[in-house]
Amino acid sequence: MHAIEVASLRKSYGALTAVDDLSFTVAPGEAFGLLGPNGAGKTTTIGMIVGALSPDAGRVVVDGESDPTRPAIRRRIGVAPQALALYQELTAEENLDFFGSLYGLAGARRAERVRWALDFAGLADRRRDRVGGYSGGMQRRLNLVCGLLHDPPVILLDEPTVGVDPQSRNAIFEAIETLKREGRTILYTTHYMEEAERLCDRVAIMDHGKILAIDRVDALLRAYGGAPTVEIEFADRPASLDVNGGTWDGPRWRVQSERPVEILQQAMGAGAAFQHVSIERATLEDVFLRLTGRRLRD
Amino acid sequence: MNAIWAIALKDLRLLLRDKGDLFWVLGFPILIAFFFGSIGGGGGKRAVMPVAVVDQDHTPYSAAVVARLKASDALRTQEAPLDSARLLVRRGDLVGYVALLPGAGENFGFGGDSTSGIEIGIDPRRTAEREYLRGLVTAAIFQSMRGSFGAGGGGRDMIQRSLEKLRDDPSVDAATKDRRSELLRSLDRFMTALDSSSVDGGAGAMPGGATPAGEDDGGPNLRVVEIAEADSGPRTAYEVTFPSSVAWALIGVCMSFAVSIVYERITGTFLRLRLAPIGRAQVLAGKGLAAFLASLAAVTVVIVLGAILFKIRVSSPHLLAVAIASSAFCFTGVMMIVATLGRTPASVAGAGWAIMMIMSMTGGGMVPLIAMPEWMQRVSNFSLVKYAVLSVEGAVWRGFGWSEMLPVVSVLLIAGLAGIVIGTRVLESRDH
Repeated sequence: MHAIEVASLRKSYGALTAVDDLSFTVAPGEAFGLLGPNGAGKTTTIGMIVGALSPDAGRVVVDGESDPTRPAIRRRIGVAPQALALYQELTAEENLDFFGSLYGLAGARRAERVRWALDFAGLADRRRDRVGGYSGGMQRRLNLVCGLLHDPPVILLDEPTVGVDPQSRNAIFEAIETLKREGRTILYTTHYMEEAERLCDRVAIMDHGKILAIDRVDALLRAYGGAPTVEIEFADRPASLDVNGGTWDGPRWRVQSERPVEILQQAMGAGAAFQHVSIERATLEDVFLRLTGRRLRD
Repeated sequence: MNAIWAIALKDLRLLLRDKGDLFWVLGFPILIAFFFGSIGGGGGKRAVMPVAVVDQDHTPYSAAVVARLKASDALRTQEAPLDSARLLVRRGDLVGYVALLPGAGENFGFGGDSTSGIEIGIDPRRTAEREYLRGLVTAAIFQSMRGSFGAGGGGRDMIQRSLEKLRDDPSVDAATKDRRSELLRSLDRFMTALDSSSVDGGAGAMPGGATPAGEDDGGPNLRVVEIAEADSGPRTAYEVTFPSSVAWALIGVCMSFAVSIVYERITGTFLRLRLAPIGRAQVLAGKGLAAFLASLAAVTVVIVLGAILFKIRVSSPHLLAVAIASSAFCFTGVMMIVATLGRTPASVAGAGWAIMMIMSMTGGGMVPLIAMPEWMQRVSNFSLVKYAVLSVEGAVWRGFGWSEMLPVVSVLLIAGLAGIVIGTRVLESRDH
């Protein structure tokens, strides 16, 4: 049984089709990424999976249950919404205590989960400060753990690192990797390709409400990213180079090849001195560029 | 139910933490009540007291006292027979009456029995007014006495006649005769000396230790008779302004929670509430419960402060509780409707305040219902503020019984229920 199954999902807002015939599955314990630019339909998809939005067509099944609005299913899902869903006038502890109460946590169990969440987010020292005084990164971390209080096996994270400093981003990554190691199912949306590459076992690339490609990261790179790129900057441009292909840009020479080391050896045979050499593997950015003709952050 | 309570308590905590909201919910209504109450006459101590004067003595002395009372800036007097005066006080049309009974002029009102002297009739609950009126009447007595001892006043002759009459009265025992005789002689000496020394004021210390405003033989025969009012009108301006300010407390809570619903929707916390394993109706019920409890608390605080600080009467605590609860319920429904008027806090606040101002203007939140012209009172029937104010006034000074309160409360409950049902449905439909 899949942890999440999405079949032929469709959602429109007037003339705008936000999600268009979307289908994918997420296995239990898998970290699955929805990668796409802003407006690709990622948040709408999450909204339909958790039952906050009603799809125009299609089907969502979470943990074998096709109605995600049922309380029993909602207790198995944890969500960190893209918008900071926190009460600024309450403290971190009060926010967590309140959200814990909504999930039926009470007494010692709730107190224990609140303590866990504060430790997990690294906010134990600031637990009695009002959230309005927190940095953006601290609020993001709290936003994340508010969705984990009830210990859900399925976690949906909607752009959880938007607008945070590198330190908080790393803290969030480590937290998600911990959740992954614990065997939880994670659906992660982002428009940062490096996040998808680092955290996700499989990635679906979305644009204009559709999935353009879906596979493991290395498979996507192989299929759509192209061969690694070798770039050499010569001290003096050699008269001739015994390598087929490649393009020159002044003293800089670039070529794509599945055997970059061999290319490098051949270039060295030309006898010219190098100033700079790099071998770049294709990225999901390249995959997106190949699939859409646009960059992710366009 | 736990989730509903959790949401309600969270919202109340947020309300308490927002000083601005708290001001509009509590501070503003109290300020409004105090401000309009004070410019409308406040506690009544400085207001002109409407009283009836009854002269059954028909002597120059009683005429002089009546004239003094009529000349007082603190009183608005009207002459009336004693029965009519009592009726007017009982109906609350007048604060009290001053009756100079037959024989009041004898001995300048000193001595005599319960059928003579001067009678002040006033509601026993009007303690401040009673003492104030007693002081004014005493002053009028002594000013009249002083006038009698001036040239041609006949005061000394009257004292001599009184002394003779007292001496010949077989019904008075010897000890009392001695006391009264001494008092009259002291009075004669005192008033004569006072007149010749041109000292202003008529209530100075008397020789021989007698006190002009004392009781028994030591002062004028001045009695206060308790006339219970029928609670048919407000006694002070605060009794009008505090029920009116209830409208502002309700409006403050209503607007605060309506805006908070929209604010939560745009900030994302509402989404987290909806993703919790509770129904949408429970989320809105939690919001409604918080608004209801906040309204109850705000209105109760306003009325209790009015009762403690400004002595407003509560004629029926039970009906007041019903009125407050019904008004709070009604404005919880109004809050739900207002929350549907826009998709941003600014649009909800703008539309909400516009409607609230109109309802308040026509419903007694600004101009008291009692002071409205007839046509405006008809217009006010369309304002829910009117029914909230009327229900509280009914329990405070209008003297409503259940039969009068029930129609008003029914309007509030029906409107509240309609608001909750319609508002909840519209808000739920927007979540799809």
